[in-house]
Amino acid sequence: MANFNIDAKKELTYDAIVIGSGVSGGWAAKELTEKGLRVLMLERGKQLEHITGYENALKAPWELKYDGRLTTQQIESHPKLSRDYPYNEMTEKYWMNDSDSLYREKKRFDWFRPNIVGGKSIMWGRQSYRLSDIDFEANLRDGIAVDWPIRYADIAPWYSHAEKFAGISGEKLGLPQLPDGEFLPPMDMYYLEKEVRKRLEKSFPGRVMTIGRVANLSKAAEEQLGVGRGPCQFRNRCSWGCPFGAYFSTQSSTLPAAAKTGRLTLRPDSVVTEITFDNDTQRATGVRVRDAVTMQDREYFAKIIFVCASAISSTALLMHSTSDRFPNGMGNDSDQLGRNLMDHHFRTGASGRWEGGHDHYYYGRRANGIYIPRYRNIGDDKRDYLRGFGYQGGASRGNWQRSVAELSFGADLKDELTQPGEWTMGLGGFGETLPYSDNRMWLDKETKDKWGMPVVVFDAEIRDNEKKMRLDMANDAKEMLEAAGLKDVKTYDKGSFPGMAIHEMGTARMGRDPKTSVLNGHNQIHAVKNVFMTDGACMVSTSCVNPSLTYMALTARAADFAVEELKKHNL
Amino acid sequence: MISRRDALQRLTLLLGGALSAQLTAGVLGQVINLGPSVLVSAAQQKLLTEVADTIIPTTDTPGSKAAGAEQFIIRVLRDCYVLEDQEAFYDGLSKLEDDSHRLHNQSFADLDAARRHEIVKQTAISNKAFFHNLRTLTVTGYFCSEIGATKALEYLPIPGRFEGDVPFKPGQKAWAL
Repeated sequence: MANFNIDAKKELTYDAIVIGSGVSGGWAAKELTEKGLRVLMLERGKQLEHITGYENALKAPWELKYDGRLTTQQIESHPKLSRDYPYNEMTEKYWMNDSDSLYREKKRFDWFRPNIVGGKSIMWGRQSYRLSDIDFEANLRDGIAVDWPIRYADIAPWYSHAEKFAGISGEKLGLPQLPDGEFLPPMDMYYLEKEVRKRLEKSFPGRVMTIGRVANLSKAAEEQLGVGRGPCQFRNRCSWGCPFGAYFSTQSSTLPAAAKTGRLTLRPDSVVTEITFDNDTQRATGVRVRDAVTMQDREYFAKIIFVCASAISSTALLMHSTSDRFPNGMGNDSDQLGRNLMDHHFRTGASGRWEGGHDHYYYGRRANGIYIPRYRNIGDDKRDYLRGFGYQGGASRGNWQRSVAELSFGADLKDELTQPGEWTMGLGGFGETLPYSDNRMWLDKETKDKWGMPVVVFDAEIRDNEKKMRLDMANDAKEMLEAAGLKDVKTYDKGSFPGMAIHEMGTARMGRDPKTSVLNGHNQIHAVKNVFMTDGACMVSTSCVNPSLTYMALTARAADFAVEELKKHNL
Repeated sequence: MISRRDALQRLTLLLGGALSAQLTAGVLGQVINLGPSVLVSAAQQKLLTEVADTIIPTTDTPGSKAAGAEQFIIRVLRDCYVLEDQEAFYDGLSKLEDDSHRLHNQSFADLDAARRHEIVKQTAISNKAFFHNLRTLTVTGYFCSEIGATKALEYLPIPGRFEGDVPFKPGQKAWAL
């Protein structure tokens, strides 16, 4: 009995703790377990079993109750989440209730928090692009914020590593601003997209339209078949959960790979409230966890900790992990924790109507669009703003949801809607947002959520640089669509609030200098060497491309470094 | 550890005290009724069925009535519309029935197809908001129904492949979503 306490602690001790089970957490668990570590992965959300957990995934349209609509009850109980489409009839069980997800908005911030194992890897948009040296050098070149501590060459092999396992379909373009990767075959373009592509390349040399690079298996390679994944069935139901495992998610990909090692322990319903710190060793010792259901507190111990709870939650956790050494939050010597909060700005562009092409149709539902890589402020192009944007969009033929003549009804209406409508095409920009030190989040220690965690306060907005860029995002789209021959092209700007793109970044940035950054070039907290953060919090600038692939690559790279450091007894 | 009631009070503060009594009840896990929803009588349901079937009638494929689109309409109105909007909808339906009595001394359900068409046409002009609401709900309910999706349109549960440019064959139906 004398050893009881030692034995008990041993049971609660792992080689590594991974906080969060989304894109980054899943990759951390996979890489660390495959390198021989015993890993505890903690997820605050509930269990979501692969395939059987996706209750709506195989429902036909007539098996849904409201064709995607929310009920008045859901709108009232989710005043924030219900402001935008990701929370809908098919996905509502995947998101956290607003009453559990308390936060305050000095300025509007849409914080989409999942409540499941797998996190947002279940509902994500799956667009997967590499950053380039144009991105990694941008802050240095522009004299903004701090320089990225890494360059493309540092991360390129890890992009390849991530792509080969995740399975990214796409087309090689040979562009410096959008490096090619290890691609599965590209998906097909619609008739109209092919027409527009031809005309665009003629009218605007240097601008390219390609099919989206997307984490859906156009063809399952050995790496994916090995974890039980199958090819994309083109159902376009991805965010409901894919029973074919055809897109990358924690459940379809990294979780089975980690589980196969026999070294993974996954604990859902585990709210990490604090990372514990030992002042003698200047290392983190483990985490405190509050059970989301029973409210019981437990403590776990590990040699290394990967914080992958998503940018906002990871940052809030560090802020809440105070000690004599870190009164303002773990690793926050620089006062940068919570600052430089960024998201892509979007929801502006143009769309138009195509005359003809009525004898062209399609087969299958493609869960992907087209992509026009950034061309602004590259080479000789100089605008009155910094950085740039890419376009996502696509063509479609009108379906039964299209608008019809004001008074139309009866047999004529029915006949009309059982036939395809006109071809249309739209382009929407995704723009880079600069890091502003006073675009920030902090904790309101007076107000706590039901697990006793102080709530997050947001104070961030897009500014002049982004607003100027948005004019180009709308006008360029119109100009290109018109040049390609579309008619009645109209621009739109529906406004963009931070958080809406669900690409939160920057609140614990990497950097070379501990005085001005939280993490070093290996995603390691400068002052707490055994804690790594590899989600969006680490980003020094946003680029204009979707960020998840970069989190995968950075996580794998950091895991490799961490294990090497463990072997050298540096951690 | 804090109680749910504490959490709620905090939520109320966060929302600037604007939390409704119903929401409070709901968050506390009680059965909630967000205001009494309109109780739809058998007569109203019958009327709605016939009106919706005039919007999407049987042609060479079955129409709204066969597809049961009125069930979708009633469900969406009850669960997804606030009471005020539910009432506006059923008021519009009553007015349409009144028009039928006034002009033809008959219930809408008893009119022949031509007269039904006339009444709905008049309503489309005189009560645009109601008509557009009715049409959107009927069209959605119909094309999302099994009959609408598989008979009026063509539904592919598992397409298995994607081809972006295939010839549109004469007589081919549009894809269901």
